[in-house]
Amino acid sequence: MPLSITKRQNGAATIVDVTGEITLFNAPDLRKVLMELLKVEKARVIVNMTNSAYIDSAGVACLVEALKVARESKLPFAIFGLNRVAKEVFELTRLIHVFDVYGSEEEALRAAQQAPSSAAV
Amino acid sequence: MRPRSSRDESGRQADGGIAIRVRNLRVNYGEHEVLHNIGFDVKAGETIAILGGSGSGKTTLLRSLVGLERPSGGAIWIRGQDLCCISPREMAELRKKFGISFQGGALFGSMTVGENVALPLREHTRLDDSTIEVLVRLKLEEVGLSGYEDYNPAQLSGGMKKRAAIARALTMDPEILFFDEPSAGLDPIIAAGIDDLILKLKRAFGMTIVVVTHELASAFLIADRMVLVDKGNIIAIGTPEEMKANPQPRVRQFLDRVPDPEVSADEGFLDRLTQNLRL
Amino acid sequence: MPVTETLGQATIDGLAYLGDLAILMGRSLHAIIVAPFQGQRLRGQRVVHQAMSAGVGAIPILSLISFFIGVIMALQSAYELRKLGAIALVARAVAISITRELAPLITAIVVIGRSGSAFAAEIGSMKVNEEIDALETMALDPIQFLVAPKLLAMLLMLPCLTTWADFMGILGGATFGVSVAGFTLGSYIQATLHSIAFRDIVTGLIKSVMFGAVITAVGCQEGLSTGLGAEQVGRSTTSAVVKSIFLVVAVDLVFTLLFYFTTSR
Repeated sequence: MPLSITKRQNGAATIVDVTGEITLFNAPDLRKVLMELLKVEKARVIVNMTNSAYIDSAGVACLVEALKVARESKLPFAIFGLNRVAKEVFELTRLIHVFDVYGSEEEALRAAQQAPSSAAV
Repeated sequence: MRPRSSRDESGRQADGGIAIRVRNLRVNYGEHEVLHNIGFDVKAGETIAILGGSGSGKTTLLRSLVGLERPSGGAIWIRGQDLCCISPREMAELRKKFGISFQGGALFGSMTVGENVALPLREHTRLDDSTIEVLVRLKLEEVGLSGYEDYNPAQLSGGMKKRAAIARALTMDPEILFFDEPSAGLDPIIAAGIDDLILKLKRAFGMTIVVVTHELASAFLIADRMVLVDKGNIIAIGTPEEMKANPQPRVRQFLDRVPDPEVSADEGFLDRLTQNLRL
Repeated sequence: MPVTETLGQATIDGLAYLGDLAILMGRSLHAIIVAPFQGQRLRGQRVVHQAMSAGVGAIPILSLISFFIGVIMALQSAYELRKLGAIALVARAVAISITRELAPLITAIVVIGRSGSAFAAEIGSMKVNEEIDALETMALDPIQFLVAPKLLAMLLMLPCLTTWADFMGILGGATFGVSVAGFTLGSYIQATLHSIAFRDIVTGLIKSVMFGAVITAVGCQEGLSTGLGAEQVGRSTTSAVVKSIFLVVAVDLVFTLLFYFTTSR
């Protein structure tokens, strides 16, 4: 399945809907979108992984980079909708506790709004 | 419930979920045939252990599977492609989906550990340098070598080299992972760590894993199925339970670790000892 | 075994070896010239690295050797020319022998010792450590990855080094000319420029390019055909040096013959 990345505004946050598999070969596309949102627009970013069946290490590495940029500019950055496989990947790389991972969009959004302009814990 | 089920549907896992199919495989070193009529299947997502004593031909079998040895007969299909008849370009594409950890590590001595792990990414993908850095550190973390990016392979111990080689084999998130003796020469704790890593990889990425080993405990722990090779022939294939129940004497001898019986000193023995001597 | 049979076998082996070298060259040239147009990049960084170690690294020792050779040539020719009262021809003798023959040859021999042997040792130990296998299974062609950058670096650096050796050799001759044979620096340079044609330098440079190809091919071929075991690396290195020296002299002979017969009439 090819990767499609769309952005939409929901309240204070920008939701990035990722559909399809994130692999070595398309991870740079995701990175570009996230970096632009975080660096240029200074947006509060929430990544929706509900419709992404598979993420490989390169995808995870891109999310790590994005998280680092978000932390530096004290922006909340969250992920929700990880399926079982994706969770395994995050657990394997011991990143599940580094990211702010939520079960649903509402939870992620609430957390993003509660954190006014400092990084989520 | 295979994690990569979406990949199966998209048709990339051809041949009905068979990742590797071997039929009537023969391999010669010069005149000497080292593998006779080998045949077995590896299903996608399965972990298979190829067991055998030293000199049994198990490493040759692995080298044939990855296209480093040319078979003298028979055929090998990987993901539905016949290895004998694919173009170099198709072979290269196929190999990008392989990860191989060699027995001695085979790390490039002229590069640092980090550069070794990054090499396939730098050559085959257009990932940003910073993404590659993060990915390399993630992989080294997975094998318990974080912080060793800037070391030269020569500065690492044998076990660390092996783990760095595994990290390099994993960088491209391969579909099929080949291990040549992953835990030989490692201390029991690190060997157990590698077994654990193999199990996790199987679960998280749904990788097909082929492990060549003579470590029984490790094989019984990680393998879905086992292939026992002896003197160039497969003498048994089955799940760990089936292997334990296999009554064949040679299988029992290997699994129960019984040494070969001593050959009685007959006339032939004397002849062998004094062969070509003028006394 | 009868002599004829041994001789025949040696000839066949020799030709087979030349065939292997030609195949290796062909594939490397393909990687240098054709592959970049097929979307496969040439590894520029590796070329620069090789050029630095094979080329720039050779300058100090090459300078010294070619300077000495220049002095020696001047002494040897002066020994004869003096008897004929033609010591003024020393500049000419040095200039021609250095540019046409000695500079390319000395450069090749220095490069064989420094780089040809290093290629064989490097690739040979990679072979022994399964690194070549690892490259192949990573879908990286060892020839494209290892041999092609070396070849390109050598093809570029040998003419440069040879030009430098020309200069240093003539400088050596001039040192003798000025201190013993009554030249001034200006008149020695003048005499040199009068006696060498553009052709002399160009034929020397053409030879040096061929030498570069031969040295790379032999060094890499010996490395790639290294057997199992660490002691085989040493053997590969030795045989790379011996075979390169022989082939360089053989190629030199062929080209000198060629140049001789294409200009004598």
